[in-house]
Amino acid sequence: MTLCAMFAVSFACFPDPVVMGIDPQTQLKYWEWHAGGVLLRLTQRLPDQTRAYFLARGFAQADADRIAANCIFQSMFRNTAPATSGTVVSDLNDWRIRTNGEPGRLLLREYWRKLWAEREVPESARIAFEWSLLPTYQTYAPGDYNWGMTSYGLSPGSDFDLRFSWHRNGERFEGKIDNIRCAPDIHPEPSADKE
Amino acid sequence: MLPAVLGFLALLASAAGSGAGPDVSGETLTAIPDKPPAPGFTLPDIDGRTHRLSDYLGQVVVVNFWATWCPPCREEMPSMQRAWEQVRNNDVVFLGINVGETADEIFTFTGDYAVDFPLLMDQDSRTVQNWPIRGLPTTYIVDSDGRLAYRAVGGRAWDSPEVLDQIRALRPQ
Repeated sequence: MTLCAMFAVSFACFPDPVVMGIDPQTQLKYWEWHAGGVLLRLTQRLPDQTRAYFLARGFAQADADRIAANCIFQSMFRNTAPATSGTVVSDLNDWRIRTNGEPGRLLLREYWRKLWAEREVPESARIAFEWSLLPTYQTYAPGDYNWGMTSYGLSPGSDFDLRFSWHRNGERFEGKIDNIRCAPDIHPEPSADKE
Repeated sequence: MLPAVLGFLALLASAAGSGAGPDVSGETLTAIPDKPPAPGFTLPDIDGRTHRLSDYLGQVVVVNFWATWCPPCREEMPSMQRAWEQVRNNDVVFLGINVGETADEIFTFTGDYAVDFPLLMDQDSRTVQNWPIRGLPTTYIVDSDGRLAYRAVGGRAWDSPEVLDQIRALRPQ
């Protein structure tokens, strides 16, 4: 079903603009939605990848495990419209997921900030975490983009649908990516030919 | 085998992201309406020297907020160095403000990325919080009157003629 059919009444109409592929560097899956001058790309992150990254930033093992178990994607949001187009405003509070028929939301900077304060995580680790996430609210001029992690509060290997939105020139737009899969909690070994 | 394992673990630990960044060739800077005053700061660089934004009044200042673990920050840094080499003698200053990291971490980074312009440290992130910034990298161009003239969210090809023209046009006449 195209987005035109799904959102014909309420929202701008785009052909189905999702491409799924394999990231050449990590061999992990990505989903890319590109239409209406907006590009959203979500690339799986292995829980091990996320654990290692946050351990290196100063998190304790238990906290790094906790982040890694929450379905983290590397994400890029970009305003790809021509320079004469308006800015795009994105608010992740408005984004929704659906998994096994149940609605849900992303776990945003504000959720994690409160948690790390309660757990007295070192300041340098909290700063790195905060700025590693895709910003909750952002204004993107044409050509602007942010690159950061998004977290979905789901177990490794879970499937979900994402409905995301943005505003341009005061008009609300929406996009949808179905059947996104959180990376499984596997532990890849380096290939033998690298010895 | 051991080097391969260590290399793999280092890749896991260092990568906040993966894959090539977006093509930013041809992307320019966004003009800021009304040019509000740039928030001031006083920060040390990795050599212990103190820099105040007010020290640079009368010059154009490119203020880049970045971190070593941020892939698009790393990706744009070489073009920023090349741009600085082209304009450094023309009343244009580049300042890279690192968010949240130590001098050792930044020094290690400069072993892989040759950067000659000052790299300042905002270790407690108070400066970045005082600026209108929500993601890294973000770069502001401060005009010679100390006002925010242009903004770039995400990386740019800083040595492209279009971007250099925008920066040079801000120089005092």
